[in-house]
Amino acid sequence: MNGGSFDLAAQQLVELLELVSSFSDEASAAQGAVERAAQVLEAEVAAVVLGGQVVYSVGFPAGAIPFEDLVEVTTGKRDTLEVPRLGLCSVATAELDGTGHGHLVLARLGDDGFSAAEWNLLRGMSRILDLSLQMLRTMDSLRQRQRLMEHLYDIQRSISRRMPLIEVLETVVRGVKDLLGDHLVGLWLPDPDSPATLLLICSAGLDGDRAAQLWRMSAAEAGAAGRAILTDELSVAYGYASAGAALREMTQSRLAVTMAAPVRESTKVTGSLFTSCTRVGRMYTEIDQEILLAFAENVSLALTDAKTVSDMNEAFHDSLTGLASRALFLERLSEGLIVAEREGTRLALLFIDLDRFKQVNDTFGHATGDLLLMEVANRIVAALRGGDVAARFGGDEFAVILQSVTSGQTDAVVRRIIDSVGREYHIGGEDMSVGASIGVTLSVTGEPLQTEELIRRADIAMYQAKRNGRGRAETFEPGMDMGQAQTPVNVDLRRAAEELVRRATA
Amino acid sequence: MAEASTGAGTADESRWVGVGRSDDDAARVAGAQATEQALVGDDPKLLIVFSAHRYDPVELAAGVTQTAPGVPMIGCSTRGELAPDGPRDGTVVVTAIGGAGFSVSTAADEPASGRQREAGAAVARCADDVPDLPHKVLMLLTDGYTRSQEEILRGAYGVVGGGVPLFGGAAGAMESAKSYQLHGDRVLHDGVVAATIASAATIAIGVNHGWRNVGDAMMVTRSDSSRVYMLDREPALDRYLRQLNAPPEVYHDPEKFSRWSMTRPLGVQRRSGVAAKNISRDVDFEGRSIGGGTEIVQGALVWATEGDAESILDATDVACQSAMDGLGGRPPIGLLTLSCVGSRAVLGDEGIQQEVARITRRAKGAPFAGFYTLGEIARTRGVEGFHNQTLVVLALS
Repeated sequence: MNGGSFDLAAQQLVELLELVSSFSDEASAAQGAVERAAQVLEAEVAAVVLGGQVVYSVGFPAGAIPFEDLVEVTTGKRDTLEVPRLGLCSVATAELDGTGHGHLVLARLGDDGFSAAEWNLLRGMSRILDLSLQMLRTMDSLRQRQRLMEHLYDIQRSISRRMPLIEVLETVVRGVKDLLGDHLVGLWLPDPDSPATLLLICSAGLDGDRAAQLWRMSAAEAGAAGRAILTDELSVAYGYASAGAALREMTQSRLAVTMAAPVRESTKVTGSLFTSCTRVGRMYTEIDQEILLAFAENVSLALTDAKTVSDMNEAFHDSLTGLASRALFLERLSEGLIVAEREGTRLALLFIDLDRFKQVNDTFGHATGDLLLMEVANRIVAALRGGDVAARFGGDEFAVILQSVTSGQTDAVVRRIIDSVGREYHIGGEDMSVGASIGVTLSVTGEPLQTEELIRRADIAMYQAKRNGRGRAETFEPGMDMGQAQTPVNVDLRRAAEELVRRATA
Repeated sequence: MAEASTGAGTADESRWVGVGRSDDDAARVAGAQATEQALVGDDPKLLIVFSAHRYDPVELAAGVTQTAPGVPMIGCSTRGELAPDGPRDGTVVVTAIGGAGFSVSTAADEPASGRQREAGAAVARCADDVPDLPHKVLMLLTDGYTRSQEEILRGAYGVVGGGVPLFGGAAGAMESAKSYQLHGDRVLHDGVVAATIASAATIAIGVNHGWRNVGDAMMVTRSDSSRVYMLDREPALDRYLRQLNAPPEVYHDPEKFSRWSMTRPLGVQRRSGVAAKNISRDVDFEGRSIGGGTEIVQGALVWATEGDAESILDATDVACQSAMDGLGGRPPIGLLTLSCVGSRAVLGDEGIQQEVARITRRAKGAPFAGFYTLGEIARTRGVEGFHNQTLVVLALS
């Protein structure tokens, strides 16, 4: 998952800012930026279009640049480009300055297009480029640029290290406050329970009591912040234009001017980042505007990234227990076997099947059964060592990988699981109990095993444990063959039947 | 990794590839012998020479061109030559490409330093000098001691665009920190030589390296072109070593560091994977910074990586196989296999024999030639294509 493209989005923006900052004239900065955009999004074509003219492009053979087609991309008339000898490319484009005058254009081979996260990244890059170009024109920008870099690093690090989303957002808000020096900075996002209402997710500069309060209001009453959401563009409001009583209450009627920029999750505008000043006469320069827009793009990147992570978590984790999914577990097992072989250590695989779970389900219902499975998962995890991996394989079956273990250590973990899972449960006012039958198999140093074989062995050992009286563990031995346990076909049939019954009675 | 280009051609036209080698001590004789062996068919279109630096380049070039008068030639010095009879040092390996199904043009430019992009663009213009056959690749041989090799590629890309893949390597030398490039009778230093190979049949490129990420990603918090000063706001050298749990002796001993880090390049995260960057050659123990001669931009996300002979050999298989797969079922008629000198250091004498054995197995009887490089070129997707500690394979069909 480390190779996933969009844990990298914020990083790419900082790289781009660095790069663009290293140029001393606008033309080469724009050229460098668009080439970098092509590099990070692995696009074959990159172009800058200004005022309907292609001022730079790369990716087409020299002398064969389709100027009209590139311009048509920026006006939305075209969403593909044909590159000679390469083929049809999907395109993505972003406005350079928010006025429609300038555009960055990228095109990549294939018809699968750019993802929402990539569009966000491209928009962020355009924003950074525009900001940098503004800074190039400003004499005293060096120190400001350095401070901007520091803040972008902080944001980048917090996203790439998977800090909790709220911490990423707080970093953004602090950055805006430090750079623009206003009295109040905050971020509005929709209330998950009532999407028409905005919640002040984080802020810097509210008074003590007010900072502790959860502020909510409709977009129509949120002043410039609400307008930025409704219009999907930067908005500046003086005093309390478009504001309701709640905003006055929140800010003690002291605001002189507010500037707000929209933020997105994937492609949809969901909230806004605002900065407010109590000083009458405060004017927002073009650079101030660009800074706020750039930070708002960072919020969008963080939100989109968090959504991607949560989607990935769903794909790789069991939704009921939060343990690894079967797919992730098999990947970990395969990696673990390689490590064990390389380091000359042993890996243990445990198959855990709950005893009497069906009775619990039948007696107390599936909702209780689900709660019991969650508690069982907690107890299994608590019995493991740091770094061990547990998964739910479906129904009442769990599996565990113990990396770098001796058979003595394995026995100790197995004993802890049997004891812990076998203790009584109190769920929904009822007492109930289940047991754990565990099949154990260890990899053998110098005998490379495939994951399938290890799983087969653990499965056989688990059924042996069931046969031998439940609530116990058996370790696979070569003599313990299919004849003693059930055949895999029977195993699958039994599992399929259980699953059918479970679904039919759910 | 990707097919060079698409389209149906007159694939039944004849094409052939031959490889010859000589270890004769006299440069002119060695050049002539290797060329003679390589000329296994009629109508030769291009000669590609990989030679030990010990050979006088003027004499060597004379031996080659006099044996095949009028045939375009490009070449360079190496850190070891690869051919079907094994990896060796001190030899010259000549690859000949010929037949009516190929069309070739060549170019050269120097110096590249200070005008890398311009030099890349200048040689790339030879792509216009061949007929518009369905498949085309631009092969580049550069001087491994020229900085900012990426810029040479960007210059070339600006001319040929995304429809022509780039392939090649950076020249080195065993005995000195100087290399040479050859273009016909001309000998270049700090130069770029190029050949556009156009073919009626498929051309494909494979790329792979054998390094695995270790621990969490780190961020380049201060760098200057190719030198990395800070990782995660800590002196880069110390952060990198700590991440890899390095033994104490490599913290302060340049030679031990160089040997140890040769098998642990810095991995720069890119959209489609991690690109390896060699950092073993340019460490600053006083400033605690690391460098490697290729671009590592401030703000980049990087990984400490490690590998061993087995992982590099596995990568050899993958690179060769992906090039073969790119041929779309057509049998290969010849391969060029450029491998990094860093990988050679990890593999050792026995490992490089195995590397050639693996290439032989994947080549399915097709001849191949290559050399140990100071940097590898393979651009198939996107705009970038300069690699370190990687194997790049060009397959012709």
